[in-house]
Amino acid sequence: MKCLICGREAVSDLCTYHTEARDKVKGAYPLWVKAYGRMEWKDYLDNVKRNVQTGQWAKEIAEFLQGV
Amino acid sequence: MGYTLVICEKPDAARRVSDALSGGAAGSSVVEGAVVYRFRRGEEEFVVCSAQGHVYGVSDPLEERSVYPVFDFEWYPSDLVDEKSAGAANRIVAIRKLASGASKFVNACDFDVEGETIGFNLLRYACGGKEGAALRAKFSTLAQEDLSRAFDHLELQAGQGRARAGRARHAIDFVWGVNLSRALSQSALSSGHRYRTVSMGRVQGPTLEFLGRREREIRQFIPVPYWKVSGIFKKDGESLTAAYSREKVEAKAIAEGVRIACLRKEAVATAVRKSVVQVGPPAPFNIGDLQKEAYKSFGYTPSRTLQIAERLYLGALISYPRTGSQRLPPTINYAGIIRGIGKIPGYSTDAAELLKGELKPVQGSKSDAAHPAIHPTGERPRRALDASESAIFDLVVRRYLAAFGPSARREIADASLVVEGHEFRVGGGRTVFPGWMKYYGRYAGYRDVQLPSVSEGDEFLTSEVVVEEKFEQRPSRYNQSSLLEKMEREEIGTKATRAEIIATLVSRGYVGGDSMEVTDLGLAVLEMMAKYAPSVVGTRLTRDIEEKLEDVECGSGEEAALLRETVRTLAGQLAELGLNEEAVGREIDSAQMKTVTRSFVLGGCPVCKKGELRVVRSKTTKKRFVGCSNYKSGCRASAPLPQRGTIRATAKSCERCFWPVVYVLGGGRPWRLCVNPDCPGKRKS
Repeated sequence: MKCLICGREAVSDLCTYHTEARDKVKGAYPLWVKAYGRMEWKDYLDNVKRNVQTGQWAKEIAEFLQGV
Repeated sequence: MGYTLVICEKPDAARRVSDALSGGAAGSSVVEGAVVYRFRRGEEEFVVCSAQGHVYGVSDPLEERSVYPVFDFEWYPSDLVDEKSAGAANRIVAIRKLASGASKFVNACDFDVEGETIGFNLLRYACGGKEGAALRAKFSTLAQEDLSRAFDHLELQAGQGRARAGRARHAIDFVWGVNLSRALSQSALSSGHRYRTVSMGRVQGPTLEFLGRREREIRQFIPVPYWKVSGIFKKDGESLTAAYSREKVEAKAIAEGVRIACLRKEAVATAVRKSVVQVGPPAPFNIGDLQKEAYKSFGYTPSRTLQIAERLYLGALISYPRTGSQRLPPTINYAGIIRGIGKIPGYSTDAAELLKGELKPVQGSKSDAAHPAIHPTGERPRRALDASESAIFDLVVRRYLAAFGPSARREIADASLVVEGHEFRVGGGRTVFPGWMKYYGRYAGYRDVQLPSVSEGDEFLTSEVVVEEKFEQRPSRYNQSSLLEKMEREEIGTKATRAEIIATLVSRGYVGGDSMEVTDLGLAVLEMMAKYAPSVVGTRLTRDIEEKLEDVECGSGEEAALLRETVRTLAGQLAELGLNEEAVGREIDSAQMKTVTRSFVLGGCPVCKKGELRVVRSKTTKKRFVGCSNYKSGCRASAPLPQRGTIRATAKSCERCFWPVVYVLGGGRPWRLCVNPDCPGKRKS
């Protein structure tokens, strides 16, 4: 099976790099909620995607999760 | 009675040795294209010749270059191993001819592992097995005094342990590199449609792993927000800015709470601390420190710094640069060198000042049995140095002078201001006595930050509290200097080879130039190695081999056992790679395509904001230009490109028009170019 984002060999639906990135995107959400008091999941993904510090694979995951 | 044949490592060194020993009276002739010097020194007749670096190399006896595993190897003349070493054959013939008339042999190659290996091989293969009988000239500079002393005190078999270790290192690196590179290249070939050398070396693997690990962290990075709070405090018409004691406030509500609590309230200075600290001079340069400082000061890559330093050494201006030592022994004649430096324009005042006092240099913790720390010889340049040579020469001279300077003194002050239970801090520092910094000049790198004029109990009005939203910064990529430091810390590679290994990673396309960004190809190679040959990219095995090579060098280890062990380890890893050749090939080939494609992408299209601007070649005119990937959907953004030179993407956009900026390389100096022909920045006023 190929990674749905980059076409590399996949573990289930994503490759190891994007699977790890997905875990990190999900893991950072509570920190953002705590930081701003409240934040919707879709707003969070949007912010992550637009932030210049976000890594390339994390941005791809944010975009991927927005489409799911 | 024959003459004494002296073998140097490089032609420039042979000329220097001859000049020094003959007082400039040596005659020269050409033998098989190599310049040879002849002269008498006392009763003895000398003939001085040189190699051209390594003239023998390791290879396998097989003609077929795609076969692996290969565990048989021999030493061959380098021209048979590497087509770039075409001159080696002539050197060998010349030295063989000269050896036939010699009764005594002196190895005067650089006194380190590589130099010892070069000399050993020539004495063994070109001089008919004279490696055991030859004498050794040991010197750290090519200055006359040092060379005369070395030839007055020739030693027998001084560096045989080094030669054995050097030969073992070459053999291990050959077996390692040739097998893994062939395994990877064959894998790529088995599934791909184009051939490309995919290499992997013993130190290259772990070095790529450092870069790859950092690259994964960067690409998976999620910035977490935080807030930075600072206050502006006023007293008697003067104001000072202080930072909140918690550098990062993790929630906006908390930061806002501090602002509301403190604004317009009274602040009291509670703890005012002032002190004077002594700052000692930096240790004398070893090669790693010089490479790091040159990168910091001039942006030179480690390999460039090494090349420049070697040129300065061959010009007898500095001591041997491939040293690990940070120590300057008294035998190098501190005062004589400083007196010499004083005669070079720009250093006379500093040199005269130092000569008035006692000369006791600071010593670093690292030592090297073969050579002292890098230092100037005190000789004046006999030719005009180019800009980069002048820069490195100045850095080495100033670091040497600074080593003799007294400690500098810096005044440090900081104060706490407390408002409603919240603490803010302000600090500063300035140099009150420059000491060694005066001699080290602009390289010293200490900045003065104004000291706060605050006394305990002073009262201020908190006139403003600023709350700034910030995000955690993603980890920085290694640069060539920090990577070199990492390799040193992890004890992989040697001081002589680290810079070259970094350059190889770039030339193989695993890492992109200055930014040291690991390419898709680099990540794929790394991933395949980690999956099927994990020891190859781990640091443990490489470090273990380095330690055992050091044992061989010291005489406590045995090279044959080390080679057997290496072959055993490698055989297992190669078998695993071979079984998975197709899978490895598929990943590498696909990553290779992505890396190539990505190299054509210059950046996002500023016109349609959907596509990417890419370098495209016209099918009709064959000329290259910039076009948008969204062309089929109607975007007509395009721009001409220079037709000569290499275009390299910078990942940066023009500040004026937001079109991509590229570097154009080739011919003269590289230049930056905004690809937009209508960029407002290009219009003449």
